[in-house]
Amino acid sequence: MNTCHSKCVLQVAGVTQEYNHKNIIEDIHIHLNQGEFVSILGPSGCGKSTLFNVIAGLLTPEAGKVVVNDKDVTGKTGVVSYMYQKDLLLPWRNVIDNGILPLEIRGIPKKEAREKVKAMLPVFQLEDDGEKYPVQLSGGMKQRVSLLRTTMFSKEIMLLDEPFGGLDAITRLKMQEYLLEILKKIKGSVLFITHDIDEAIFLSDRIYIINGSPAHIVEEMIVPVKHASPQEMMTSEALRQLRSDILKRL
Amino acid sequence: MRKYQNIGDKLIPIIFILAILVLWELVVNLGVVERYILPSPTDIVNALIVNWADIMMHTWVTFFEGMTGLLVAVFLSLIMAVVMDQFPVVKKAIYPVLVISQTVPIIVIAPLLAMWFGFGIAPKIFVVVLVCFFPITVNLIEGLQSVDGELINLVRSMGATKSQIFAKIKFPSALPYFFSGLKIAATYSIMGAVIGEWLGGKAGLGVYMLRARHAFALDLVFASILVIVILSIILFYGIAGIQRALMPWEKLKEELE
Repeated sequence: MNTCHSKCVLQVAGVTQEYNHKNIIEDIHIHLNQGEFVSILGPSGCGKSTLFNVIAGLLTPEAGKVVVNDKDVTGKTGVVSYMYQKDLLLPWRNVIDNGILPLEIRGIPKKEAREKVKAMLPVFQLEDDGEKYPVQLSGGMKQRVSLLRTTMFSKEIMLLDEPFGGLDAITRLKMQEYLLEILKKIKGSVLFITHDIDEAIFLSDRIYIINGSPAHIVEEMIVPVKHASPQEMMTSEALRQLRSDILKRL
Repeated sequence: MRKYQNIGDKLIPIIFILAILVLWELVVNLGVVERYILPSPTDIVNALIVNWADIMMHTWVTFFEGMTGLLVAVFLSLIMAVVMDQFPVVKKAIYPVLVISQTVPIIVIAPLLAMWFGFGIAPKIFVVVLVCFFPITVNLIEGLQSVDGELINLVRSMGATKSQIFAKIKFPSALPYFFSGLKIAATYSIMGAVIGEWLGGKAGLGVYMLRARHAFALDLVFASILVIVILSIILFYGIAGIQRALMPWEKLKEELE
């Protein structure tokens, strides 16, 4: 399970990144298969976001490389899509025009881009909100729009950096189910950062545990029960075992 | 409740200003202060009506100088702010000079300008540019630099070029700051033109006030001041109106709060 098969869309090989002459992350090896949901679970501030910045091409690592579909894209932007905890919507644009931002940057004419986004609104349960401005939306709705914008850039490889970290617990649970529903429809592959064990177990096919200073991958785990219901989370012996294994590693 | 509160908020300053005007009128009419020292509000309005055509001719000159100077200042500020934002070295070099330039009293600069550029319209416009340039540039540069770094990273991750980041993210983000500066500059613009005219010229409210003062026609001096005040207020609210029209989401935000 540590190797990159033919279905593998993203591979991170031996990435090391320093900041102020100190290694933040060291020798990170991870991969993501097509259609897979993989979480990177670790304590806050351990360097998970640094890893994402390297994958997104915003940082060029000291060592190692990032390979997407067999092509070396280390330090190259515009390859994978990225979603932050903050919605980062543009307050001067309505929902549709926020959605077209990545298409505009790629040079697609506005009119055509708007049609594409409009076609996706029902999938994201935003069909009545296309003309609304971000100030008119709740926190959960804003993250839906942010997710829509993320998928408009690319759904092949999506980096989601604690996307629901800023939401209240109830909205957060709803957004997790919502995310799975969307992914079923659009068939994307997701690399997901979280520090919430239950969130990682509920959403993921696989979990990498990252820890230490400098941070490195300490364990890779397969989730035995996919998208467990709250009852299963409580009762399943396999999940209980998984959770206690994770806790030991954190 | 809220509606009454709003009405109250608007009424309080109006009542206060009216009270001052009534007091002023009484003080003059009761002979506490001589009329040639301080004309009453009705004297001033009267002088304005009687000399309307004359004053409007001069107002037009001042307005033209103010607006031309303001437009030139906006244009220069845009260039300056963009260059300073894109090249930090330029900002480091120029920003302190900008601040120092503001500490030199404009009333000292103006006569020099008259010596260099004569008594035509050019030195007046120059004064306006000098006073308007600073607030617009400083606000705009602050707006451009206060954009969320994660937002910049997000669009960079999408492969955006520098010019795309500027046009789609930075400039729209800075618009509210730009308008704050522009509102201040607009009210300065008329004042700047009047200062320029005060030091010599053929026409404009500053010239007119100077002549009225020499003739001890204080009612005309006050009438000119009234016109300057009204003109500046119109400019201020005119720009605020443009801002609201260009940024409908800001209004939505206010309504929700």
